[in-house]
Amino acid sequence: MHDVRYDEVHDEIVVPVPYAEAILTFRGGADGQEGPIRIIQGPKTGQVGSRLDVDPIHNEIFVPTSTSILVYPREANGDTAPIRIIKGPDTQLRRAQSIAVDPINNIIAVGLNSDFGSEGPATEEAQEKGAILLFNRTDNGNVKPRAVIRGDKSGIIRINQMQVYPPKKLIVVAQPGIHDHMEPEGAFLGVWSYDDNGDVPPRWKLPVGPRTTLKKPFGVALNPKDKEVIISDMRQNGVLVFSVPEIF
Amino acid sequence: MRRVFGCGKIPWLQLALAGLIVWLAQASLIQTDATAQRPNNTGTVVIERPPLRFIKDPNPAFSAVAVDSDSNMLVVADENLFQIMEYDRRDSTPARATLTEPKRVISGTNTKAEMICGVYIDPKTKEIYALNGDTQSWMPVFSTDARGNANPSRYLNIPGHPFQMAVDEEKQLIYMSIQSDNKIEVYRKQASGVEKPVRTIEGNDTQLEDPHGIAIDFKNNLIYVSNFGNGRVEGGRTGPTYGKFDAPSITVYPLNASGNTKPLRIIEGPATLMNWPSHMAFHEDRQELFVANDADSSILVFRATDQGNAAPIRVIKGPKTGIKHPPGIALDAKLGELYVASIGVPSVTVFPVTANGDVAPLRVIRSAPAGAVGLMIGNPGAVGYDSKRQQILVPN
Repeated sequence: MHDVRYDEVHDEIVVPVPYAEAILTFRGGADGQEGPIRIIQGPKTGQVGSRLDVDPIHNEIFVPTSTSILVYPREANGDTAPIRIIKGPDTQLRRAQSIAVDPINNIIAVGLNSDFGSEGPATEEAQEKGAILLFNRTDNGNVKPRAVIRGDKSGIIRINQMQVYPPKKLIVVAQPGIHDHMEPEGAFLGVWSYDDNGDVPPRWKLPVGPRTTLKKPFGVALNPKDKEVIISDMRQNGVLVFSVPEIF
Repeated sequence: MRRVFGCGKIPWLQLALAGLIVWLAQASLIQTDATAQRPNNTGTVVIERPPLRFIKDPNPAFSAVAVDSDSNMLVVADENLFQIMEYDRRDSTPARATLTEPKRVISGTNTKAEMICGVYIDPKTKEIYALNGDTQSWMPVFSTDARGNANPSRYLNIPGHPFQMAVDEEKQLIYMSIQSDNKIEVYRKQASGVEKPVRTIEGNDTQLEDPHGIAIDFKNNLIYVSNFGNGRVEGGRTGPTYGKFDAPSITVYPLNASGNTKPLRIIEGPATLMNWPSHMAFHEDRQELFVANDADSSILVFRATDQGNAAPIRVIKGPKTGIKHPPGIALDAKLGELYVASIGVPSVTVFPVTANGDVAPLRVIRSAPAGAVGLMIGNPGAVGYDSKRQQILVPN
């Protein structure tokens, strides 16, 4: 399981199950082997990938599936078709792996994965670094992204989990670096603005290293109330909580 | 589920509206703050400060075990600290001891071993084969001299996420379950680099659904595969690809199966007690199949000929056993012992193969002080924050 989202408006936990192509919704206080209260899964649903985000205002769930973004009704249960699909050559969606939705400013941020730098077999993905694409929340079909953050200055190799912070129009991403390097140089937690476009560096970053003790940031969650950034680190097999008042 | 959804509809709406108002109010208040300015209008503000809090398990979490009684080697994989640890199989941690020190540890960024979910000891060379289940795409092989941050003697690229391997020493083949792609792959045992498998079992007819454990009955030429039940129906040209949830199962195939082969039979149903059936081991003389039943903190034993909704003939489970979320097991058929690797407690427990019920192990090898409990964080690919309960959610 490579994502988890807490919907504070409805007090629900939403997770993807990629091996069963399902989106599960649990009670916020679910515990133990408690079952989900809703399951989106079936032939109409199709493949749902390994990450998602929830828009609790417009009641939608957004799922990246490599070459597309699928949007489902949040309250759907059973075999449900997406209500919108962003897909096509103009979208630049390739290996779209992560997503974050801003229902206030109506933005979707999408993170692209990459095998760039891998020691594995040479693949098409290994030729191109990852990126952050920004779309409008209601986009549908073969639309161009409104911004693309990609390039050497950005430092992006690939993007894992990401969040948005609507009040300041920020994108907060876990950038774990070359995927089969155990402790890759240049991995970081990065913060960009919705206004960024092109090969631009992050506005703020928490780098890996002895000071932060980060090694390979995989996941990120925000706690605005306490001005904290919560990072799950694969190589540490742990969770680190940082005070980062600068971005809140 | 329908009852919960139906009854909860009106309260949910009220809750949603109330929450929405609070959320929007918060957002609009802060929105008066200007859009973030690029610091210094140039580069990046690098924030280098220690974390306020750090949640991490300091102890090993055992995910797999292999035993070789000829050499008294006991090899254990640690998915928490990314180690391969070798013990003497006769080790037994005294009750008052802090832990048992391993004879050697292989660990580090040169090893190509990280989230190690399977281990195997070559009965002749005593080389250690390690299977990465996630985060790395390699199966490194280590010599008997390898220690510390050692380079593997050779390594094989394994696309997808494997979970367990079973080896045909006579034919020099390695069988492995690939959970991400619902398939069994068969490689030459000496394969290295990006060599392809010699044979693959995959397709909708196989009923492989998130396969995890694999064991071979060489006497009857059968492959046993344990499945979590997370199914994917491949559409191909005929329809959509989609998912389905099925009950956990054990599917059985001919040893020489290839392609989209139907199972010869399936063990599945509530009487089986299966709940995340993980590593398996087959006892040829006893014709019994041992299953590490992770989510039930138990070991199940089935007859080799079982089929359908069959109850296990023995179940090792309970507080005396010391078993907690066991992904790994290994059999020493020669000495009649069963080794269990638990990820919920930092220990390996050893039982007679005939053990049944809530029984104490013959020996316990601890890698941490008695009473230590594992956090069970493994490859945390994401994190969430429950603002209502002020809790951090960690998917694994």
